Amino acid sequence: MVGATEEARLNQLETQVDNGGGEAWEYLCLVRKLKARRSEKVLRHGIFILNSHIARSKLGGEEWTLYEQVAVAAMDCHRNDIANDCIEALSKKFPGSIRVGRLKGMLLEAKGAWPDAEKIYAQLLVDNPLDQIILKRKVAIAKAQGNLAAAVEYLNNYLETFMADHDAWRELAELYISIQMYKQAAFCYEELILSQPTIPLYHLAYADVLYTMGGLENLQAAKKYYASTINLTGGKNTRALYGICLSSVAINQLTKGRNKDEKDSADLQPLAAEALLKDYKERAPEKLALVTAMLRNIKLVS
Amino acid sequence: MGVGFIAGVIGGLLFAHAAYATIQYRGMLKIMEEFSGPPTNVVIELLLGLVLCMVAGLAVPGKFHSILPDSEENRVVSLPSNLDFMIFNHRGSLSPFDPELKLKT
Repeated sequence: MVGATEEARLNQLETQVDNGGGEAWEYLCLVRKLKARRSEKVLRHGIFILNSHIARSKLGGEEWTLYEQVAVAAMDCHRNDIANDCIEALSKKFPGSIRVGRLKGMLLEAKGAWPDAEKIYAQLLVDNPLDQIILKRKVAIAKAQGNLAAAVEYLNNYLETFMADHDAWRELAELYISIQMYKQAAFCYEELILSQPTIPLYHLAYADVLYTMGGLENLQAAKKYYASTINLTGGKNTRALYGICLSSVAINQLTKGRNKDEKDSADLQPLAAEALLKDYKERAPEKLALVTAMLRNIKLVS
Repeated sequence: MGVGFIAGVIGGLLFAHAAYATIQYRGMLKIMEEFSGPPTNVVIELLLGLVLCMVAGLAVPGKFHSILPDSEENRVVSLPSNLDFMIFNHRGSLSPFDPELKLKT
């Protein structure tokens, strides 16, 4: 998970490295630790380290990790030639390694040679049928070809074996959302909230799905989950504040004020609107008028 | 660290002195009066030493981490990108990366 402090540190290191301030290796380590996808920067600074003999020899054994990182970044930037060079260096050093085999498969994927990539993965799976990353790559192949139904099926099979893998649950939820199967997506998010209840972004995503599904009960639940997101982020999540406003407006439209429970949460919506306005006043004063007009339209502020 | 560390040292010295005073008092008991309770100066030293050592124990090792979920350190602002499911056929191919860059082998 990426905390606020860590993100600030990453951005600070990135500007520093971009302006030639050194600490490129620290930056690359942090990117790897936070699993951020900043391929272009990783490729540029990673190659710089790999090409300089002194910098590379300072890394010792970590050099090969960097080769792997740069190879993946190169594929992401569509520089398959660089990726190929990195993989060759790696396979010279570690002949017959599964990890290098995986990279070769990914390179074929990047080139769009799906059947060849699948062939490589199938070979690797013969030796090690429970390799999680390769099983996930098969999902990615189906996804890259646009065959989302197959990707969902693979991922469901995968999750039957590896139920505790929350990244996979998140991916499944996103796949379900992109094919508009919200009920199933909601189930995945429930699973995620159960396994990691302190991560506000799962609450937020779950609330979004519930809000999208609509209906009085779902909207009320969505409002509760938006509220719990606010609770967990200390009110610093703008999306959750908007969520409270919009879901309470939607509830009001559905019930037309004849709801008895409305009294409990009557304070919540003006409070959220107020917090939203305060946030905009601090961080984006030029957009304040827009937000005020919008909130006035839905009658949350006067 | 300065103040906390000095408090810890003083606390340790107080304990040492209390131990020394206790041994001395025990020696005195053998030749003199009945035992009615520990001497006041030892008790005071022990209490003071306890407080000072506690202060040092809290102050010297460093700052405490926050346990609140919404503090700056703990607040989750983004999830890691799901790199295991990364796919490469995105629009990046339309803006090719600096062709000068090459891996020297």
